[in-house]
Parts: sequence; C-alpha cells; structure tokens
Amino acid sequence: MSIVMTFRIALKALNRNKMRTMLTMLGMIIGVGAVITMVALGNGASQSIEQQIASAGTNVIMVNAGNFTTGGVRMGAGASNTLMPEDAEAIRNEVPGVQYVAAGVDQGAQIVAGNQNWFSRVQGTDVELPLIRAWATESGSFFTPADVASAAKVCVIGTTVRDMLFPDGTDPVGQVIRIRNQPFKVIGVMASRGQSAMGQDQDDVVFAPYTTIQKKFRGITYIQNITVSAASADHIKKVAEDITALLRARHRIQPDESDDFMVRTLEDIAAMRTETTRTMTALLASIAGVSLLVGGIGIMNIMLVSVTERTREIGLRLAIGARGRDVLTQFLVEAIVISLLGGFIGIGLGYGVSRGLTRFLEWPTFITPQAVGVAFGFAAATGIFFGFYPARKASALDPIEALRYE
Amino acid sequence: MPVISVRDLTRVYQVGDIEVRALRGVSLDVEAGEFVSVTGPSGSGKSTFMHILGCLDRPTSGQYFLDGRDVSRLSRNELAAIRNHQIGFVFQGFNLLSRTSAIENVELPLLYNGRPSKTSERHRRAMEALRLVGLEDRAHHYPNQLSGGQQQRVAIARALINNPSILLADEPTGNLDTRTSIEVMDVFQRLNAERGITVLLITHERDIAEYGTRMVSFRDGHIVSDEKITRRRIAAEEMAALPPVAV
Repeated sequence: MSIVMTFRIALKALNRNKMRTMLTMLGMIIGVGAVITMVALGNGASQSIEQQIASAGTNVIMVNAGNFTTGGVRMGAGASNTLMPEDAEAIRNEVPGVQYVAAGVDQGAQIVAGNQNWFSRVQGTDVELPLIRAWATESGSFFTPADVASAAKVCVIGTTVRDMLFPDGTDPVGQVIRIRNQPFKVIGVMASRGQSAMGQDQDDVVFAPYTTIQKKFRGITYIQNITVSAASADHIKKVAEDITALLRARHRIQPDESDDFMVRTLEDIAAMRTETTRTMTALLASIAGVSLLVGGIGIMNIMLVSVTERTREIGLRLAIGARGRDVLTQFLVEAIVISLLGGFIGIGLGYGVSRGLTRFLEWPTFITPQAVGVAFGFAAATGIFFGFYPARKASALDPIEALRYE
Repeated sequence: MPVISVRDLTRVYQVGDIEVRALRGVSLDVEAGEFVSVTGPSGSGKSTFMHILGCLDRPTSGQYFLDGRDVSRLSRNELAAIRNHQIGFVFQGFNLLSRTSAIENVELPLLYNGRPSKTSERHRRAMEALRLVGLEDRAHHYPNQLSGGQQQRVAIARALINNPSILLADEPTGNLDTRTSIEVMDVFQRLNAERGITVLLITHERDIAEYGTRMVSFRDGHIVSDEKITRRRIAAEEMAALPPVAV
C-alpha cells in the first residue's frame, strides 16, 4: 500500500472521530506551542543581551580600583586609592593594541535646575569615553581635553536627566545647573541609549571631566576606574592581560600578593549573563517538554482505546487481505498524523503567543528555525514512540478473534 | 480440477490443559460453480472448517488445495494475499466500516491487493460490483442509511471486487428478517448462476441451506452427510410470491 494511500486512510479514520482527534491533538498543540514559546523567550532574552553588549562595544575593558579579596579582607570594588591618572596614561602609551582610554571618578549627586531637582550619578570621565562606548551627543558636544585639563565646570547630561530637570522642553544646552550646589554649564545632551544589559537606565547619567569631580567634589588625586577599548575585539584577552601586568608592575605588587584592581572585559560579563539566560531557557524548555510528554501519553492512551474499539474493523481488514504490517502502518500513521498536525498547529500557536508577548508585554522573543525543527521533530518522535505500542498491538490481533470481538 | 480440495483436515486447539479437537479428519472436494451449504449444530466444527477454507486459520494436519495450490502451510502474509485475491468473505454482522460510504467500503480490498491503482479505476470497479448486487444508486450512502439487507449486499459487493475464486458466507442471513434474507440469497443465487462464482454458505438454518445445490453436514468434527439438494429453493420465485411491501 502506498504511503499516500496510508495517509489518506489515516486522515479518513481520524475524520470519523473529529472531537476525539481534536482533543488528542490539543495535548500536542499545547506541548509544542509551549516549547516554541519558552525557547523563543529564552532566545529573545539572550539575543537582546548580546545586542546590548555589542552596542556597548565588545572590545571594552573595565579596570576598577580595588579588589574583592585584597589581603584576605574583602574591600569591595573602588575601595582602593592606588589607581592613578598616570596609570591610565601608562596603559595608553605602553600597552599595544589599546585604542582609547578614559579615566573615571564617580559621584552621586543632587542636581538642581530652576525649581526642578533630581538625584543622579555624575560620572567623571575623559574625552574618549564617547568613542569607547560609541555614543554620540544628541545636541551640543562632549567636553574637550582643555576642559579636562582645567577641571572646567561643564557637563553633558543623559536624556532621562534632561527630562527630569527640563520637563517643559527647554533646550538644556547652554543652561547652568547646580550639582551639589556648584554651578555647571550644560554643554551637550547624550543620545538616548535605553536600558543596559544589567537593566540600568543608561540615560540617567551626567558626564563631567574626571578632574572636576576629583578637585571640586572629592579632593582626591586617585581615580576609581579606567575604561579602555582595544583596537580589535580579537586581541581583547591579550590586552586585558597586558594591562594587568602593567598595573601590577606600576603598583609594585609582589607575585604572591593579589591585585589591588580588577580587570574585566564586557565579554566576561556578557558570558555570565548569557549563561544565566541559557539555564533559564533550558529550565523553561524542560517544563514545556513535560507537557509534550504528557501530550504523547495522551496519544498512546487514545490509540489504545481506538485499537480496542476498532477490533472488528481490524479483523475485517485482516480478513480482506491486510497484512499485519499494513495494520501496524495504519495505526502508526494515525498517531503520527495526530502528532504532526498537532505539531504544526502548536508551532503556529507558539509563534502567535511569542508575537503577542513581544507586542503587548514588550518581552523580546526570537524564534529560531532550530527551535521549530526540534519541537517538530520531538512531536513526530512522540507520535512514533507512543503510537508504536498500540499499533503493534493492533497488528498482532488474530483475525478470527478480532472478527468475533463484541 | 476442483476449486477446493481438502484431505484429512484436522484442527486441534489447546485451551489450557485441554485439547479441543474441532476437526477430526475432514475431506471434501468442491467443483467450480457449485453452491455448497455447510450446516451443523454449534460446536460441530463448521466454523473452524470455514476459517481454514477462508485462510484465516491453518490446519493442524492435512492438506488444503485452493485452485490446485497447497495453502495449508503458508505464512501469515501469504495467507493474507490469498484472502485478498482468491476469497470473498461475507459475515453475519456485515462488518462495514461506519461513517464510510458504501462505495468506499467496497473499494477497501483494493487497498491491500499490492497493486497501486488510480482512484478513478477503483471507483469504476466498485461501481461495477455494486451494480452486481443492485445497489449502484446507493453508492454514496453510509451504512446507517441502508437497511440490513442492503448493508449485506454492500458486503457482498466488497467480497466480489477482487474477482475471488470462492465466496465464503458465514451465516449471512443471521441478522436479517425473512424478506431481506430472501433478497440476499437471491443475490448469491444470481452470482452463482450468472457468473459461475463458487459459493460456500455456512448456516445452521436448514431452510437457508436449501438455497444451495449441495448440502454438507458437520457433527463432532466430522462430515456426517454430503448430498445434492433435490428440492432447491429459488429466491427469485419466492420474492415474486411475497406480498408487496407496504410503503
């Protein structure tokens, strides 16, 4: 019997009991739909992280003062005062493969403009930061080396800060705002960046020359961090190692002592986040997989009932010349048709739900062809696996017994 | 050469520790074109005999030649092929597939005959078989829209579709009333007379057996009598004599 015929017979048999077929299929639909949606959610999450990392620059290296385990006492990042602006200069001049360097000192501060005020992080940095982060200004311009050298009271604000301080839509460029009661001239507004990979609002920021923060606010000569970009993402590991070696030498750290600074690449951070997301995806997918399994058991259950119910039909088919193999194929194909049709509809459902989540809840989702293929393959495999036993049972029936069955 | 020739057929079932000897040495020849009624009380072995003739079962010993070929030792699959090509079954309970039209029921054996065929060709042959039983105008009815007699005629058409050598009917009138029984027996008699199809009719009713040309009686696993039917009933004549159906 040809495979086309077999499928047609199976479709006819399933059509004879539409309600039951639909309900059996529902298990498959929900199973496959759940797998597709869950994997889409997981993939969407990792993809958006990857995109944000890419936009932040994959070749960025962060050097933070202090280390978690200095001398066995956990000091916390930024707790050391040994990182100096000269270290930044040395990295620029002595480490090969370094493109841009920006020293940084941060200060949380209350900011006042007219009758509005807002608490934000004032990031003292150097002129190359916009180049490292590939971040342009929306209006005005970033500060200049002269501003840094003279510790000028100028700043560039993020869009969130602008919206908070100038809710009436005044152009902030050229306005004077007060940071910790000191007047600063706003010389630019950064383009909107949205959330970072860590979920922080990147636009809630004020940039000022790091020298200004050092001298006007904190009265210190050290810096808290250095942001470095490597010329190429390929050499980032090497550059990070060279920076570590250079800083250890400059800080005269003995080989048995631990670093008083921390060098991390964004890739490390991204890898950690991606790993977390992947674990989450696997967890969600396996829960969804359970529903696929339950759907498969549903198919087996119904097929067993169907074999018992159709014993006389099987007996008749055997009597008019069907071989055991024909009966086996027929029931197997019925199970496969249920699972494949359920799989198809499930993929549609999963796609729809994923789109809905993205549209209405703004959760990023991403459906990969692999996920669809795997879910579909699983559906087919479930059909074969759970359809085989009932089909086998049907084909082994004795025609005389089957014909007599009441 | 006889269509059916069996020699010393025995069949022993093992039911638990007990041996049930359903057939104890049966020999019989049936010539092409005969209409043989097989009768006997229940437990006489006639059903077992019928199953072996229908290639649904194999004898414990003895030989069975169908169209000159020994089929008593064939494998399951070979027997399936014989059932498909050479034997037409008609059952007491009709055994039509529900929610499946008459014509599709009739086409069913064509699906298993090992030759791919076009839908149009299968339809043509099924229509032809339905015409033989006088039901071509009911081809697209479902079994539940047909009377018992009509359902049995659909089953006969299904049995005929692969042009079998023999037609095996197991109590074909068991579920039918007198009038429809006569209708069905008329179909068997016409197929036998006009197309020369060999018919084996299993029945425990003596008056149904009398539609045949020869009666073989079973008792305790043996053939106890084998005689020509002298006063044969003719279904066509009886139908004409019946009072018309009140519509």
